[in-house]
Amino acid sequence: MVGKTKRFSLAGAGGSILVTFFALLCVAPLVYMVLMSFTQLRTLYIRLEDITFNLQNYYIIIFKNSFGRALLNSIIVAVLSCVWTDLVCAMAAYGFEKKPVPGKEKLFKVYLATMMIPSQVTLIPLFLIMRQIGWLNSYAALVVPMAGAFGCFMLRQFMKNVDDVFIEAAQIDGCPEPLIFLRVVLPLVQPALISLTIFTFVSAWNSFIWPLVVNTNTQMYTFPIALSLLDSQHDTNYGLTMAAAAASFVIPFAMYVGMQEQFVEGIALGGVKG
Amino acid sequence: MKKSKLTRDGRQAIYGMLYILPSFLIIMVFCIISIALAAYFSFTNYNLYNAPEFVGLNNYVNVFKSGTFYAALTNTVKYVIVVVPLQTILALLLAVFIAEKMRNRYGSFLRSVIFIPFIVSSIAASAVWKVIFKTKGGILNVALGLFGIDEVNWLGAKTLAFVCVCIVTIWKNVGYYMVIYYAGVMGISLEQKEAAIVDGANAWQRFWRITLPSLKPITYMIITLGVISSFQIFDIVYQLTGGGPGTSTITLAYMVYTYAFSNQKLGYASAIAMVLLVIVLLIHWIQNAFFKEKE
Repeated sequence: MVGKTKRFSLAGAGGSILVTFFALLCVAPLVYMVLMSFTQLRTLYIRLEDITFNLQNYYIIIFKNSFGRALLNSIIVAVLSCVWTDLVCAMAAYGFEKKPVPGKEKLFKVYLATMMIPSQVTLIPLFLIMRQIGWLNSYAALVVPMAGAFGCFMLRQFMKNVDDVFIEAAQIDGCPEPLIFLRVVLPLVQPALISLTIFTFVSAWNSFIWPLVVNTNTQMYTFPIALSLLDSQHDTNYGLTMAAAAASFVIPFAMYVGMQEQFVEGIALGGVKG
Repeated sequence: MKKSKLTRDGRQAIYGMLYILPSFLIIMVFCIISIALAAYFSFTNYNLYNAPEFVGLNNYVNVFKSGTFYAALTNTVKYVIVVVPLQTILALLLAVFIAEKMRNRYGSFLRSVIFIPFIVSSIAASAVWKVIFKTKGGILNVALGLFGIDEVNWLGAKTLAFVCVCIVTIWKNVGYYMVIYYAGVMGISLEQKEAAIVDGANAWQRFWRITLPSLKPITYMIITLGVISSFQIFDIVYQLTGGGPGTSTITLAYMVYTYAFSNQKLGYASAIAMVLLVIVLLIHWIQNAFFKEKE
């Protein structure tokens, strides 16, 4: 920086206050959600003494309201989606970037173009396909379509920087192709895989319209569907709804706090370099 | 020698195809074939129970005759026009300000905080905001009451309900776009900035002449992402307003869902979906032409 003189600037101070205020607006609804989740209110007049800090609402949500099953479904779907997306997209990225496949650039353009397609356009045919192959109310219906062009694009961006010598060395050593992929390529793209895993987890966790359409059996509800139903009931216990909303937020939030760097890097990888 | 090299390349090409195959199948079935099927259904009267019958352009004629469709179309376009510029400008200002003036631990803390709403699910976000927007005792009205402002019927009045949907969307997305912009600002070379400072350019001039032009590719990407995701808005409308009051917040995506899965008019809903697809592709094409021309 030119000149380390830290002049006090009115615009700078005013701006900092505005940014701080904006950050407060960002978290205020979430703080409100957490506080309300510790009340048993049916009216909205919240007083400090109403906030009990007992976990009663959370207990009811998980054990009484069948949210336990929804939570389990969401965890299973999110974890399987991560494994599946990482595998399929890493394979695609490796094939596109490091293998001499004829016509691959044209095909990759088709991949990229599919990212623009609004999901509602494919919603109806996709539902009918799932019904035809008997995948309604299954985990597969939620997991398999998760691997898409975005992951392939993101991992390929990263794979451009992977030096071919490691792969060539393994080939010269006579390492069989599947092992090269598993033992050499996957570890080399690990940072990008972590970012993709985070993204896939959060989007599978928060996904709504597709599970709403394809899994109509209450036993197969994911957490957002269960939350949506609870929130739409007329006799609303606000504390209960807020506890469910907070519960759905806990896991992605914990991931964010623990892996902030990878979150941010992942966004930059999918975004800026493209 | 030459022959053996060819077979080696050939083998590598086959390996490559095998690696690409799973993603290829997914994209073919779930995207390309699905779009073709949606196009086909849009010319039929399919309703889940009877075999689809070809009805020509009937669905499209009915779509363009429907008042609800025009309401949904207008709302979707209005929504894009309001949300995309606001969230883009807000994200840009936040990113540039934090990168230039708050490059310290407090600045990076605020950056992390502003990103948080992005990881909240739209359904949870809508459930919380719905309570905040409540007319009687909602915390927003209580806060406004402190300034002597009367109770506002946020979700019950047509224009305000639309504003509420916009607020929740922007609240949720700004942090994401800010992080993308921030990475872009950090990528601008210091030499360029220092040269401008030596030339006596003030902060304002540096913003317009260096920062903004350098961020052009990112701005292009953010606008593209913003437009595509705004055209698909569903979750927030579904949970916060249910399209109402009346049809004041109904969107094309919401209409596709309700006509297909509440009313079982799959052919009709497919026609709306195809209109949505054409609009998105058209906008992308215009945007491309516009940005290329200015290059």
